[in-house]
Amino acid sequence: MQIDFHYYATYCAAFLAGYSHEECMDICYSAQFVDLCTETFLSRLGAPLSAATTQLQLELADASSDIISLQNITRIWSSFHFLPGDLYAKKKGCSKRYLNKYRLICNPNGELLVNTVKRAKNNSLQAVGIAMHVLADTWAHRYFAGTPSLVINNTDRYFFELIPDGDRCFERRITFKPNPSMTDNLNESIYVNSLYQNKESSIMNLGHGRAGHLPDYSFIRYKYLPAWGDYDEIIKDNPSDYLHAFTQMIEAMKYLRGEREDFVADTYDFDAIAPYREKIEAIIKKRQLDSSRDWKAFGEKLSGCSIEFFNVNKYLKEYNMATPKEIDDTFIGRFIIAALGQKSMVTNAIYKSGNRLAGFSVDYAKKGFRGIADYRKLLDQLRRADDDSLSKN
Amino acid sequence: MTAFQRIKNIFIAFIMIIGSISIVWIPEDGIPLIVLILSMSLTLYGLKNIFYYFSMAKHMVGGRSILYTGVIIFDLGVFTLTVADNSNSFVILYMLIIHMFSGVVDILRALESKRMSSSWRFKFTSGAINIAIAIAAFVAGYLLKSLSVIVYIYSAGLIYSAISRIITAFRKTAIVYIQ
Repeated sequence: MQIDFHYYATYCAAFLAGYSHEECMDICYSAQFVDLCTETFLSRLGAPLSAATTQLQLELADASSDIISLQNITRIWSSFHFLPGDLYAKKKGCSKRYLNKYRLICNPNGELLVNTVKRAKNNSLQAVGIAMHVLADTWAHRYFAGTPSLVINNTDRYFFELIPDGDRCFERRITFKPNPSMTDNLNESIYVNSLYQNKESSIMNLGHGRAGHLPDYSFIRYKYLPAWGDYDEIIKDNPSDYLHAFTQMIEAMKYLRGEREDFVADTYDFDAIAPYREKIEAIIKKRQLDSSRDWKAFGEKLSGCSIEFFNVNKYLKEYNMATPKEIDDTFIGRFIIAALGQKSMVTNAIYKSGNRLAGFSVDYAKKGFRGIADYRKLLDQLRRADDDSLSKN
Repeated sequence: MTAFQRIKNIFIAFIMIIGSISIVWIPEDGIPLIVLILSMSLTLYGLKNIFYYFSMAKHMVGGRSILYTGVIIFDLGVFTLTVADNSNSFVILYMLIIHMFSGVVDILRALESKRMSSSWRFKFTSGAINIAIAIAAFVAGYLLKSLSVIVYIYSAGLIYSAISRIITAFRKTAIVYIQ
């Protein structure tokens, strides 16, 4: 997904879930910021690099193919963009090495998604935004894994776009070109993708790179043979998936606001969008590379307030001016803590499933603090929360 | 990283250091030694691909191409070994491509960091050095026909990789989980 859904559509979903305009802005800003918080950005702030939620193309190109870099890549992409659907999935007749990759395939409604949403409960709005980014991406990025893997993420020439034509639809073969300077050509179904590399852990085989930006476009429907799918064709229906993502975000945020008792997987608030369903479906299905303008107009009509354009530097000054004592309470400070928490939770779940692709996880409650120093921020936050509850009592 | 992976990294690093010192020690036999290392690498890479096919890629749509690639590279590795006596151009070309590619990536990365007002000088310097090495390999190998310079550059690259492996082996890597 891109800024149109992570920023503007998330604003709309938050508003429909009952948040105020100001709260919606914080949530959608955080949801979009997940796509921009790179190590390069954090190093500019002198912030902990472990809080990175994404990687620039050049950061990836620069990453070495050693085990630590691969684990770092897997932690980032599995935690924030390709949340695994089933860490205990089974597949007959394959090696453990294959199975570990297979189990990282992203899918909606997994146990990790429920944990992601529940982790944001009684937490900052930044944590809510991060959870909404992760949730939405489970729909867009399903069938791909957040780890470099040829055997999981590769695609081949069998790739067709299903283009609506009245009540029916026709098929058109998709041409992929690994040329990053080119823009996608919707009229002729020519799309940019990553270069074919036959090395299992090449960064070209990360996530949906081999399928280009297709999973990020809400309007598109296509069929293809996923590398892991034993030659069974998959039809990816993005309009349906994006609508499910939108209504599931509303359901999740109603739970986070306390309007729902529990958050249960596979539950969607279609009632909340009933008065606007036609409009929402029209935006989702409109054949365009970026639907930001339509979502923005819809959001502004909903709330009656102006949604400002996304500015990545908006909270930099606040962070830079803060004293060490205040820094964790700034917008970016809260985002960093929420990101570290999400990464720590997902890495622990992957590790506990016996899969080492995201690296090692040490449970603080059992073994104390042994690991990357950046995560001390989570410990500090826990202590502050304990102090607050003691002082309240 | 597991304890085994750490030990493996350190072990490989020591082998690389010993190899590079040996090459510098006997520079007249340096080129055949480098070719031996490269052909061994190709052969092992081919075998690795064949193993990769049987352990993973056979489950992949279109995975059989991996098997064919593995067989071809394995064959190429064996072939390189047979032409070890006459392979100066091969080694020089290898050095040129490796260093030029690393240099360009480093410089692009530095420029990207600079655009984002992040630290960029170290990456830029590293990129410039890599490009300088590629040029040195070209000048020494093709223009001056001085193969000992090529041998020294290759050895320095091996030592650099070995030191990186040792540093990696000692890095703290675990993620702390706090409920």
